[in-house]
Amino acid sequence: MSRSKTIGVALSSVLLGAGVLSLMGFGLASAQPHQPALTATPTGTRGHVALTISVYPDSQIGGNRGTGGAHPDWVSYSNDNLVVPANSVVDMTVKQYDTGGELNNSVFGNVFGTVGNTMNVNGKEVSSWDPTSIGHTFTLRGISGDGTRLMVSVPIPFDTNKGAENNGGGVEIAPMIVKFSFKTGGKGVYQWNCEFPCGGSRQGQFGEAMSTYGYMSGTLTVK
Amino acid sequence: MTNQNDNKKHHRDIFIVWALLTVIGVLVGLYATPWLMPKSASHTMSMGILTMVIFTVAAAPVAALVYAVCLYALTIWRHRGEGVPADGPAIRGNGPATVLWLVGSTVLTLFLLIWGLGLLGSDQSAGAKASIEAANGGSAEITVDVTAQQWLWSFSYPGTHVKSLDLYLPVNKDVEFNVTSKDVVHGFWIVQMGIKVNANPGVITTTSVTPDKIGTYTIRCTEICGLDHAFMMTKVHVVSEADFQKWLASQPTRI
Repeated sequence: MSRSKTIGVALSSVLLGAGVLSLMGFGLASAQPHQPALTATPTGTRGHVALTISVYPDSQIGGNRGTGGAHPDWVSYSNDNLVVPANSVVDMTVKQYDTGGELNNSVFGNVFGTVGNTMNVNGKEVSSWDPTSIGHTFTLRGISGDGTRLMVSVPIPFDTNKGAENNGGGVEIAPMIVKFSFKTGGKGVYQWNCEFPCGGSRQGQFGEAMSTYGYMSGTLTVK
Repeated sequence: MTNQNDNKKHHRDIFIVWALLTVIGVLVGLYATPWLMPKSASHTMSMGILTMVIFTVAAAPVAALVYAVCLYALTIWRHRGEGVPADGPAIRGNGPATVLWLVGSTVLTLFLLIWGLGLLGSDQSAGAKASIEAANGGSAEITVDVTAQQWLWSFSYPGTHVKSLDLYLPVNKDVEFNVTSKDVVHGFWIVQMGIKVNANPGVITTTSVTPDKIGTYTIRCTEICGLDHAFMMTKVHVVSEADFQKWLASQPTRI
C-alpha cells in the first residue's frame, strides 16, 4: 500500500470514528427529556410567577402528556419540563391525586428550601407532614454552572380517601392541593424528582417511574 | 570498533533524551499535579496531593526511560527500506542491566509501599482518635449521620435536633461520618477533603476528617447509581465554630 493511500485510509478511519461518535452523542442528546415546556406565568405580584403541576397514580389520566407514554400504568407527574425566570419567586401548586404510604427516609417528610420553610396543604400551613402518610415529594436540587445552589423539598401528602381512578381520561376525586413558594437564583438547569419510593422493581423501589424521565422526575430550567 | 562507537553514541543519545524527559516529568509532577488536583481543605487531602506529587516524581525517570527508548527506536532505529529487515543478534546475559533494573524496581516499589502504608496508618490513627473521642462524648468532636438515596444526600447531627440537606462543619474539628444508603450503593466523596467511602444499604461505614479551611466545598456521588447520578452532588460549608453553633441554633426542629 502506498504511503498516500495509507494516510488516506488512516484519515478516513479517524473521520468515520468521529462521525459515529458525533451521531451517538446527538442521538443521546435528542433522547434527553422532555415533554413540551411548562412555563411559569406571572401572577400579577411583582417578581412572582405561578406553576401548577399534578401527580397521578396512572399516567393515562394526565401524566406523561396524558398519553400514558410507554408505561401507562406508571405513576407520573403531569409535566417534566418546567421553565421559570431567574431571580424570581415561584408560587407552585401541586395537585396530588395519588395514594401513598411511608417514606423510606423520614427526613423528606420535612419542608426544605421554600419561603418560610413551610407549605400549604388544603389551606393549612405546615412545615412537615407525617412521613407515614406521604404520596410523593417534589424535591428539586442542583448546582448551576455559576455555582447557584437550589434545594427545595416538599412532601406531597396522600389523599386519605383514595387515589384517582382512570375512568376514561377523567379524574374522579378532588385532589390534595399543596402550595409553596421558592426563590430562584441564577440561570441554570436543575433536576427534580420524587423521593417517595414509588418506582417499584429495584432495591428501595426507586426503579421504573422513578428512574425514567417523563414520569417522576424532570428538570427545572431557570432562564 | 565501529559498532562499539555506534553503541556508545546510541547510549549517550538515549541518555540525553532520558534526562530531558525526566526533567519534564519531574516538573510535571511538581507543578502540574497539584494544579490538576482539587485544592485541599484538610490534612488528609494535603497528604493525598503530596503523595501524588512524590509518586509522579518517583515515576518520572522510569517513564522517561521507556519513552526515551521508544522514541529513539521509532526515529533513529527505524527501518526505512523496503521489505522486512533481518533480525539482529539476540542479547543475553547483560548482568549489570538486570541488576540495575531489579534493584531500581525493588527500591522504588518498597518506597511506594512504605510511604503508602505509613500514610494509611496515620490516617487510620486520626479516624480511630475521632471515633474514641466521639464515644467519650468529647466536646471537640462532631458526628454526622450521612444518608444517601437516589439522588440526594441528607445529614443529621446526633445529639442535636438538626436534620439538613446541606452539610455544615466547623473548621479544625475532628468530624466522624456514619455513612449509609436507603436504596442502592452510592459513593460519599468530599472532593477537597480527600475522603471517599461507599454508602451501602443496610450498612454503616465510618470515615473521618478534620476540615482545616473555611469555605464551600463539594460532595459528589462516586458510584453510578441511576438516572440522576451525575447530579447527585451538594455543598459542604466549613465555617467557624461560632458560625456553626449559630447555624445549628437557626435550624428548625424537624421530624
